[in-house]
Amino acid sequence: MELLSILTPLFFGLVAAGTVIGIIFGAIPGMTATMAVAVCLPLTYSLGLENGLALLLGLYVGGISGGLVPAILLNIPGTPSSITTTLDGYPMTQNGEGERALKIGITSSLVGGLISLAALYLFAPALADFAIKFSYIEKFLIIFFALTVMAALSSSLLIGIFSGFLGIFISLIGAYDISRGGNGELRLVPEFLEYYLESGFSLLPVLIGLFGLATILIDAEQGMKDEKGLSNIKIGGKPFKLSVFKGQFVNLIRSSSIGTFVGILPGVGGSAASILAYSQEKNFSKNPEKFGKGAPEGVIASESANNGLTGGALVPLLSLGIPGDSTTAILIGAFTLQGIQVGPLFIGNNPVTWDAMIIAMLVANIVMFLVMVFAIRHLAKVVTVPKNILFPIILMMCVVGAYTINYGVMFDVWTLLIFGLFGYLAHKIGLEIAPFIIGFILGPSAEIYFVKSLESFGTFSIFFTKSWIAALLWVLIAVSIAFSISIARKKKRVTTGSDEQA
Amino acid sequence: MSFDSPFHVTVDFNTSHMIFPTIIAVILGILLISILITRGSTILATVTNGAWWPAGIDHKRFFGTLALTVIYFLAMPTVGDIFPNTGLGFYLCSIPYLFALSTLLLHERCRRSLMIAAANALIAPTLVWYILSELFNISLP
Repeated sequence: MELLSILTPLFFGLVAAGTVIGIIFGAIPGMTATMAVAVCLPLTYSLGLENGLALLLGLYVGGISGGLVPAILLNIPGTPSSITTTLDGYPMTQNGEGERALKIGITSSLVGGLISLAALYLFAPALADFAIKFSYIEKFLIIFFALTVMAALSSSLLIGIFSGFLGIFISLIGAYDISRGGNGELRLVPEFLEYYLESGFSLLPVLIGLFGLATILIDAEQGMKDEKGLSNIKIGGKPFKLSVFKGQFVNLIRSSSIGTFVGILPGVGGSAASILAYSQEKNFSKNPEKFGKGAPEGVIASESANNGLTGGALVPLLSLGIPGDSTTAILIGAFTLQGIQVGPLFIGNNPVTWDAMIIAMLVANIVMFLVMVFAIRHLAKVVTVPKNILFPIILMMCVVGAYTINYGVMFDVWTLLIFGLFGYLAHKIGLEIAPFIIGFILGPSAEIYFVKSLESFGTFSIFFTKSWIAALLWVLIAVSIAFSISIARKKKRVTTGSDEQA
Repeated sequence: MSFDSPFHVTVDFNTSHMIFPTIIAVILGILLISILITRGSTILATVTNGAWWPAGIDHKRFFGTLALTVIYFLAMPTVGDIFPNTGLGFYLCSIPYLFALSTLLLHERCRRSLMIAAANALIAPTLVWYILSELFNISLP
């Protein structure tokens, strides 16, 4: 009955509003679901946990889905996760099948979203029940595993690991938290900043800086050029029929499952999910030569995989407290704002919030489908909204978000600027932002787990011998590193091969 | 932290705040050296061959955005101190900031586009200030 009291018209209205705003963010190239959630997060402060999550989960689902619009119509991925949608979606538009491609993408997104939601509902509580038994040692090793997985799937293992450890290092700035068993001593803080950095950098201004300001600076650097307009593109043409999905059942299920699985891996973005699903579909296809020339199965694979990510990425967040991707990392902020810690105890202690989240995700997927199917022609025009109008508004919202997060601290606004510049610099020199963020979020917990384990057991060997779970985690860590090295070698061979051919 | 044997350690609580940062700093150093060793030639080629930053970027828009943002951040608390606890520091500074930034980012400054930028600069901060500060009592600079 408590759940029914939460499912108010406001709750459903917020899911719908979040989904529509998310679609708009996703549809504008350069603006992502992560940015949408980061910018709107402070608004949830006055909404309460369930209503706030309703808005944010709508933004998440809408933001990931909206990326298909410019990918199909303009050959520009609206979000990184729709990169493979461009490969077949845009050729379909050029062949006069724009609307058909959009609706194939939307339907696939719905299927991917629903399959991943089912996976979330089934796996997260089971994983949480299992994780309750974890001691500090297993928790530390899970964080270590998360970092190696992220690094393994980065463009370079070394850079990925470096970025993750840099995130951890910066998260340690400030006092060694007394409330979690630390000694309260400051470290890594210049004397003139001791007053401001006693608790370190706040999470939200850091995230808003990295995803808001940095994105805008990168665009400003390139002259904020207007994207190709929609005026010359005909969306219509060949009508969409559900029969296009005939024979695509395996593709839908496999791609959605790949998306969900990649989402469960910590810190791995949607682009990895869609690339993996697309390449699998191409490998299994009887007509691989059609791919890249307007094959509907390519759009189906890409879009079902990137929406499959949405539920998957919430599994490690809600069961282990480890975000599955950058967007779910920001969702941690929503829980922090309401004073709730995510981790193995979350689902058991907050069953109503858990049910509300599942309902919000379900409604968001349905709203996404309905809005995009029936209003796709109007939504597509969003792509043409000038950035010179949008970006100043986003910067203003970034300021509001950073300032209000700790009830009015101007230093948080400067933190936003510092990390906006850092994000820009990271982009220039090729650092990986996703491992950096996960490192930044998990760093303080990793420290407590590591130091307290050493205090209790007095030996490093305990990290290897504590339990079979610890041993298994070491095996997984070794496998993820070996996988990364093997991928890097394959890439090198391909590059060398193509150089020799040239 | 002192080492009794290769694996056995004793943690001194008073200095325990430096254990993890030291380990992470050492790992970062090792990773940095590894990156320099494995990618040294690529990095050297980029440094000696390519044009140095900020060559090749849109100076006016990049540095203009940065300068306007810094001025905006500096101005907000100053104006906010004149009208304490009203959020007017945010409101009064956001209007010129939005207009200046919108105009800076424009490529063709015609009367129509300037009017849209001006309308946006007036409407957006007004809405945000009214909803957050007046309706929800959320503190703004």
